[in-house]
Amino acid sequence: MDRHNLGTVVAFEFTRTVKKRRFWIATLAIPILLALVFVLVFTSSSSTQSLSEAQKSQTLDFTYTDASSLIDPAIAKALGGAVEKDPGTAVERVKAGKLNAYFSFPASLAKDPVLVYGADQGIFKNGTYDAVAKQIVVLSAQEKVGSPQLVAAVQGNFNTQTETFKGGVLSGGLQTVIPPLLFLVLFYVVIILLANQMLASTLEEKENRVTEMILTTLNPTTLVVGKIISLFMVGALQSIVFASPMLLGYVFFRDQLAIPNFDLSKLSFQFWPMLIGALLLIGGFILFTGVLVSIGAVMPTAKEASMVFGPVMLMMFIPFYIVTMVVSDPGSVIVQIFTFFPFTAPVTAMLRNAFGSLNGVSAAIVIAELFIFGVLALRLAVHLFRYGSIEYSRKLSLRTAFAKRS
Amino acid sequence: MQFGEKKVIDGLSFDVARGETFGFLGSNGSGKTTTIRALLGIYRPTSGTLNINGQVFGDGFGARLGYLPEERGLYKKESVLDVMSYFGRLKGLSRNEAQKFSREYLDRVDLADKAGQRVDKLSGGEQQKIQLGVTIMNEPELLILDEPTKGFDPVNRRLLMDIIEDSKRAGATVMMVTHQMEEVERLCDRIILLKDGKSEAYGTIDEVQNQFGGRTIKLKYSGRVPDSPHYQVTLRETNYAELALDESVDEAQVLHDLVTSGVVVRGFVASKRSLDDIFIQVYGENAAAPLALGVK
Repeated sequence: MDRHNLGTVVAFEFTRTVKKRRFWIATLAIPILLALVFVLVFTSSSSTQSLSEAQKSQTLDFTYTDASSLIDPAIAKALGGAVEKDPGTAVERVKAGKLNAYFSFPASLAKDPVLVYGADQGIFKNGTYDAVAKQIVVLSAQEKVGSPQLVAAVQGNFNTQTETFKGGVLSGGLQTVIPPLLFLVLFYVVIILLANQMLASTLEEKENRVTEMILTTLNPTTLVVGKIISLFMVGALQSIVFASPMLLGYVFFRDQLAIPNFDLSKLSFQFWPMLIGALLLIGGFILFTGVLVSIGAVMPTAKEASMVFGPVMLMMFIPFYIVTMVVSDPGSVIVQIFTFFPFTAPVTAMLRNAFGSLNGVSAAIVIAELFIFGVLALRLAVHLFRYGSIEYSRKLSLRTAFAKRS
Repeated sequence: MQFGEKKVIDGLSFDVARGETFGFLGSNGSGKTTTIRALLGIYRPTSGTLNINGQVFGDGFGARLGYLPEERGLYKKESVLDVMSYFGRLKGLSRNEAQKFSREYLDRVDLADKAGQRVDKLSGGEQQKIQLGVTIMNEPELLILDEPTKGFDPVNRRLLMDIIEDSKRAGATVMMVTHQMEEVERLCDRIILLKDGKSEAYGTIDEVQNQFGGRTIKLKYSGRVPDSPHYQVTLRETNYAELALDESVDEAQVLHDLVTSGVVVRGFVASKRSLDDIFIQVYGENAAAPLALGVK
C-alpha cells in the first residue's frame, strides 16, 4: 500500500470532517448539554444544602401523646415537642390551623402506626413530620438500650471487608473488573459514534460519482483503510471532547456535582485481561467497520443503507439481553453461542473477560475469529466498493459483484 | 471481459501510438466504458492487459494517467481548491505544487474567484472545468477522456479543446470517447469502432472510410432522381439528395446517368462517406440496407 497516498487520504478525510461546522455542532452538543446539567446539579445542590442547613436550625412545633411510654420527653422537647394536654381536640385544632402538628404514639409500635397530623407545608416539607416522629422513637429507643454497639447491630450500621482467592492469589473483586470493561465502553462509544459515518464514507464516493476518478489514482484498499483510520481518529477526538466535561467535573467539582468518590488508585490493571480486552476491541472494530463499509458500498443511498444497518447494530446490543447469564452462568449454551458468533462475540467476550470467565483458549479462538472475519469483511468491503461504488444509482447485488470478479 | 456468463468485451486489441489522438467510438452499450474501466483496473478483466510503453498498467501508473470519466463527479461539499489539491497529492504532486497548479488553472478557466467555494455551489459547466483540471493536473502522459465535451457550451468547448491541445503539445497521448463525429474527424488520428464488445473498424479515418466503401455524392438538382443499380439514395430532400455509390461505379458515370434521365444538376460534390454515415450504418436501426452494398 502506498504510504504517501494513505497519509493523503487520512489527512483529507480527517480534515474535511473536522472542518465542518455540522461536526462541531454535533460534537459539542453533548458536552454543552452535560455542562448545563452540571450547572443545574451544582445550583440545585447548593440550594439543597442551604435549605438543609436552614432546616437544621429550625424546630418543629408539635404536641404529642405517648401510649407506649417509650418516648423520652427530653428528646421530644429538644425536637420542638410538648405533651398534648387536650388529645380529644388536637386533631380538630390541627385542621383549624390552630395547632401546627400532633403526633399520637400508640401503645404498641410493633402493631399500630404512629398517627401524624400536621398543617400542609407542601409535598417535600410535609415529610418533615414523619421524619421527626421517627427520629423521636429512634433516639428514645437508643437512650433506653444504652449501648451504641447494640444499636448499630440492630440497625445494621456496620461494614464488612471481604477478600476472595483464586488459584491461591487474592482476587481483586470489582477493582479488577472495571479496567477491562473500559474496552467494552470504548467499543460501544466508537461504533455508535462512527457507524453512520462508516456507512456514509463509502456512500459518498458513489453519491458524488467520484469513484472512477479516485480509483484510477488510488488502490481501493488504500482508500478504504485510509477512511477507516481517519474515522477512528475522528472518533477518538469526539470521545475526548465528550469525556472532557466529565473529567473536569470529577477533578474540580466532585463534591458540588455529587459525583461518587471512586478511589481510582485501587483499580487493578491486570496484564492478560487488559491485553485480551484490547485485542477484542480491535478485532470487533475491524469486523463491524468492514461490514458497515460493505453495506455502504452495496447500497445506492444512505436511506437504503440504514435499513440494513439496523440489524447489524442490533447484534451489538443483543448480548445485553443475557448479561445476567453471561456473568452468573458463562457455561450455558446461549452464552457459549454468543461468545463465538462473530457479531455477538466482541461484547459477550469482553464482558466475560472482565468478569474472569473467559479462559485463555476461548479468548484466543474469539480473537482469532474476530481478526479473520474482520480482515475478510474488509476485503469484501474493498471488493464491493470497487464494483458497488460505480453502480452509481443502483444497488449492487452480491451475485453481480462476485460474477464481476470472474 | 465477462460478467458471469455474459461476455462484454471479446477479443479486443488495439494500439495507441505515443502522441496521437485516438478516437474510441461506439453506440451506447457497445462496451466503451467497460473497456476503459477494465484497462484502468477499475474492473478486473477476465484476461488481457493495458500496456504502457511495454509495461503492464498497475498501481504506480495512476500518476502518469489523466482520466475524465463519463460519470462526472467531485467531492461536492468541499472547496474547489481542497478537492483539486487532494487529487494533485494523490497524483504525486507536493501540496505546494498542487495548489500552484490549481490556482493557475482556475485563473485560466475564469474560476479564480471560486477557489474557496464549495463544489456544489458551482454550475454544471464550471464543475466540468474543475474536473478537467483535476484530470490534467499531473501533466499526464496518457489522457483518457470519456465524452469530454458533454455539457459544454460552444465557448467552453473551444476552451476545453485548447486545453487538450496544450496537453498534446506537452507530449500527452489522448484517447477520447465521443459521439461527436465532427470532433473525431477534426481531432483524431486513428479510431476504433466498437460494437457488442468487438472491433468493427480500426485504423486512420481514411482507412475506416475506405473500409466502409467510402464514396458519397451530395446532389443539388431539379426533377426526379431515378433509381439505379449504380447507387443508393441514402437521403432525399426537396432538390437535395445524397447517393451512396457502388464500388465499381465512378462519379462520371453517375453524373452521366442523371443528366441523361432528365435531372437538372445544380450541384454535384463527390466525397468520402462521413463518419456519421458509417456510425449510422454500423449501429443504426436500418443498418441492413447500407450493408447490402457489400462494403464490408
